[in-house]
Amino acid sequence: MSSDLAFALRGVSTAVGNNFALREVSFELPTGYVMGLIGANGAGKTTTIRCLLGMRPIDTGEIELLGHPVPGPVALRQDVGVVLDHPFLVGDWRLAEVERTLRPFYERWDGGRYRQLLDEFGLDLRAKVKDLSRGMAMKLMIAVALSHQARLLVFDEPTSGLDPVTRDELVGIVGDFLIDEGHSVLFSTHITSDLDRIGDYLTLIHDGRIVRTGTKDEVLDAYRVVRGGPDDLSDLVGVQLIGVRRTPTGAQALVPAESADFLGGYVLVEAPTLEEIAVHIGARDPRRSPDPDASVDPGPEPDRRAGRREPDSSMSTEGNA
Amino acid sequence: MTAVARMAMLDLRTVAPYRYQGLLVFALGAVLFSNRPTVYVVALVLFFTSQFAAYPFSVADKAGLETLYAVLPLSRRSVLYGHYVWAVVLFLATASVGTTLALLLARAQDVPFDGRTLATVLTVSWAAFAVNVAIQFPLVVRFGYTRVSVLGTALPLAVIAGTIYKLHLTIPSIQSWLPLFWVAGVTAIVASTAVAMTADRRRVRHG
Repeated sequence: MSSDLAFALRGVSTAVGNNFALREVSFELPTGYVMGLIGANGAGKTTTIRCLLGMRPIDTGEIELLGHPVPGPVALRQDVGVVLDHPFLVGDWRLAEVERTLRPFYERWDGGRYRQLLDEFGLDLRAKVKDLSRGMAMKLMIAVALSHQARLLVFDEPTSGLDPVTRDELVGIVGDFLIDEGHSVLFSTHITSDLDRIGDYLTLIHDGRIVRTGTKDEVLDAYRVVRGGPDDLSDLVGVQLIGVRRTPTGAQALVPAESADFLGGYVLVEAPTLEEIAVHIGARDPRRSPDPDASVDPGPEPDRRAGRREPDSSMSTEGNA
Repeated sequence: MTAVARMAMLDLRTVAPYRYQGLLVFALGAVLFSNRPTVYVVALVLFFTSQFAAYPFSVADKAGLETLYAVLPLSRRSVLYGHYVWAVVLFLATASVGTTLALLLARAQDVPFDGRTLATVLTVSWAAFAVNVAIQFPLVVRFGYTRVSVLGTALPLAVIAGTIYKLHLTIPSIQSWLPLFWVAGVTAIVASTAVAMTADRRRVRHG
């Protein structure tokens, strides 16, 4: 087990009935960084998180969380804060009761910090959980996670349905949390713009398999988006087209970066945005095998935030989707 | 405080916002059984604890508290034991308050309520409670409260009614059987806890 890793999944598979929910999932996050877990609805993000947190048994593979195997000691949960897109609290509890209820479970619960955070977030201690808006409820769950001084925050689709202002506030909160180098964040989302600002590492998941994982720049550099006329992307030999989208006026697809060299000058080749990668990966045929020759040649990753370590570019891997 | 005690306390806090509904049951029972105070305790235990002991499961279903249990530093064993401890504490509180009220009603109505009657009432209440929880909890743990709410209430009551009918026909005097009822109640709850643990593992595995 490595204490330098916030978490690691190695060859994790789990099934629902006869169908695999996750198949040979492997990725890891070094301590002190934010990882974005990107995938369409039903891609396996929540299942991955449930496995990581020990809430769902796995059939094969191993999981490491904060230096401990999962399932591990119950005390490990003292260090993990979980924020979902809905509060898993009794709707009729007032926010003061939330603290009274949860405080006995956490050794490092800081009541002053809880009240300070509620005040910062504009939440009233007398308000009931069920009366909070989605954004307010998410802030409440963040306040809970920060009040027991978690070292790893796990967000599962926290920004779905939130307005841009609240999403921006969330990104700011995550940034503040990461000032401590011992803190890490796993951020599952299908809204890629959230990760443009805070993501250090990205993992793309589709149909229960990891498509690619690595630093953000590695993932962005691994693909090109190609655009052409309606028939320009047909009959291409030796080029893996990912998630081809055709309209009466043109066609667009994602290709592995190294395949772009084989494309003729009649198509437009551009660096993709994170959203374009997510859209095309999400649209790919899950039964299609990947190009076995696809590989990544990651370059160095400049750090964007002062005082933060540079993400380790050697981690980039092509998944088995 | 142990993890089990913290879990039992969490169950109490889970139902605390709905305490006035519970107090209403107490008050209604006192009115309905004002002329029959000896029946009041048994009726309270049957109807109040059968509903409120499992009420944390109901609230948990609606509020997604299973996720909270999984996130809190609690083992599944502590969660399940906590549910049972909560139920037993609820029984003790209900029986204590109910007995006090029944004695007051008996005195007000000038109804005889001696120690022998009280022992019988409490024993029958305990046995009824134990049967109810022993059947209801594993069902709720395995399938969720929402899916088995009717069965989880009706099945124990049917078993209790059938047992009372059978014993009424075969036992001339219930007094000599009272200790056995207490032991049987404890045994049923202990066995139920083991069944609930197995049911919980199956739920986690198969959903």
